[in-house]
Amino acid sequence: MENLLTIKNLKTGFPSKKNTTIAVDGLDLHIKAGESIALVGESGCGKSMTSFSIMRLLPPPGEISDGEILFEGRELLKLSENEMCKVRGKEISMIFQEPMTSLNPVLTIGEQIIEVIQYHQGLNRQLAREKSMEMLKLVGFSRVEEILKEYPHRLSGGMRQRVVIAIAMSCNPKLIIADEPTTALDVTIQAQILELMRNIRRKFNTSILLITHDLGVVSELADRVVVMYAGQVVEEANVRDIFRKPLHPYTEGLIHSVPSIRGEINRLYSIPGNVSSSNKIHSGCKFAPRCPKAFSRCFVEKPRLAEVEELHTARCFLYE
Amino acid sequence: MTVNTGHQAVLEKHTEQEVILKIENLKKYFPIKAGVIQRTIGYVKAVDDISLEVNKGETLGIVGESGCGKSTMGRTLIRLYEPTEGSIYFKGKDISTLPERELKRYFRRQIQMIFQDPYASLNPRRTIRKTLLDPLVTHKLYDKTEEYDQRIKELLEIVGLDASAINRYPHEFSGGQRQRIGIARAIALNPDVIIADEAVSALDVSIQAQIINLLKDLQNEFQLTYIFISHDLSVVRHISDRVAVMYLGKIMELAVRDDLFDDPLHPYSQALLSAVPEMEIEENGQKRERILLKGDLPSPSSPPSGCVFHTRCSAAMPHCMEVMPELKEVKKNHFVACHLFKGKNE
Repeated sequence: MENLLTIKNLKTGFPSKKNTTIAVDGLDLHIKAGESIALVGESGCGKSMTSFSIMRLLPPPGEISDGEILFEGRELLKLSENEMCKVRGKEISMIFQEPMTSLNPVLTIGEQIIEVIQYHQGLNRQLAREKSMEMLKLVGFSRVEEILKEYPHRLSGGMRQRVVIAIAMSCNPKLIIADEPTTALDVTIQAQILELMRNIRRKFNTSILLITHDLGVVSELADRVVVMYAGQVVEEANVRDIFRKPLHPYTEGLIHSVPSIRGEINRLYSIPGNVSSSNKIHSGCKFAPRCPKAFSRCFVEKPRLAEVEELHTARCFLYE
Repeated sequence: MTVNTGHQAVLEKHTEQEVILKIENLKKYFPIKAGVIQRTIGYVKAVDDISLEVNKGETLGIVGESGCGKSTMGRTLIRLYEPTEGSIYFKGKDISTLPERELKRYFRRQIQMIFQDPYASLNPRRTIRKTLLDPLVTHKLYDKTEEYDQRIKELLEIVGLDASAINRYPHEFSGGQRQRIGIARAIALNPDVIIADEAVSALDVSIQAQIINLLKDLQNEFQLTYIFISHDLSVVRHISDRVAVMYLGKIMELAVRDDLFDDPLHPYSQALLSAVPEMEIEENGQKRERILLKGDLPSPSSPPSGCVFHTRCSAAMPHCMEVMPELKEVKKNHFVACHLFKGKNE
């Protein structure tokens, strides 16, 4: 199957007078049509900046210094701003963490959905309105006429996130980037939203790039998992393999640090130290200072991302 | 750091059942005001008639979704909010009506709090010394400056920070380190009880594990009693001895940790537990059946009649819409507020 999205050697940074803070440091990623990929990592690992780079929505002064992003064969980084506007929302759309900040508080829900549909599909207002009611039904609202007239603050967090999903889905995009879509929600509401996203995926065969720190959510929604640390991919594998047979010591540590809801209760494993900033210049592997399995080579050379097993890659000298 | 494990400790925990904190029919209503003259037009019943006991040395976990009143309960317990009704007994003494001066003398230093956001709970303009000095000076624990400094350095080492941190400012630390400072502040006065309100929720998983382990070590070393408030069920399971599940200001279920997680009785607890997404680690691990709750949490200002959960409950009966079930003991040490269950002695 052909790749829907291919990212090659993406480098994103925030230049300042003194130096450049590197957010994404040479990332490779590909997503096939209908596939759901999870980008996992802790805060500051560059997972959100990857998604903003794809959409070309990096907060200033962030800029992409190198690499290419191919979407259906088109180079997104070379498109004009006008052409990019046609991609955003229509072919790639985004769901953010906090639905209150991604909806406009002074516009009704109806105005916000209808605007998107009119802009991208060129429908007249009446048809756009009908289409938006259809979308709201799809995400599980029953009184759609009333919801169209409501303002965002009148809805609960879960309902707002449904509206955001309705807007994201309204132009039938090929790829949805979901950046921590359920992090701000309670568990019972999170379960509803995950169920909804699974249904939508099944129905429309939409590809999903899920960005999250929650490994539980990953196993609910993703086919393939990409683990990031300090701006780099450290491991990539199918969702089953990554949880059952993590290769990279960071992935292993991450999985073992999560307290579980079932089974025996042991002392939690914790990765020593703090998430190192990707800005520091390391001579060797970026994870080496925190790695329990680090040896002398790790502090001198930089490991490459290599295929250790079939469809399972890791950036670690233990497997070279 | 000494980690008190082994059989002895387990035995002690079970024989020693001294109640350190007891609340009876605690209520906290916030008035809703409207209009020009700010007339009270209703109440948000954040904590609505809760009774429970906390044993010395245990960790009582309190779980629930946002808006269930768990934080308000934590704050009312230590009189950061004045209770609307009900009594709070600390070591047998009713503190719910004590005037603030006496509260400060007898009670404030024995019960401390750790907050969620380590970025917001430390004053950015004060060095770590100043932040940690405050509680010590307020209670006039020492005479000389050196003694204070000595104690602050000791505290920093207890929580796993370097003593050289003393002259630095909060912004120089990461989230996990800041939370360690918050913990140092909480244990500075050798309290008996610590209320941890979402103490690890803002942290990354690898850091969260460090802080959970630290809290457990401190508990063993200083015989602390924790009230651990969190929305994260797996974290609560990991740290608690007993767990209370709250919904709309009420306790729906209260049981020993394993009883609650292995055999939840209340339909809400069952739904809550089944909603937690899990990693698929085991080869042929059985997928749990997911109970999807419909709708959202009703507003606590106009809770449903009868059982507050009946609007979302799959097992609701006509009776549930009329009468709020009481929290009753269904099995030994397993309390449930649901009409589906009969009390042990009924």
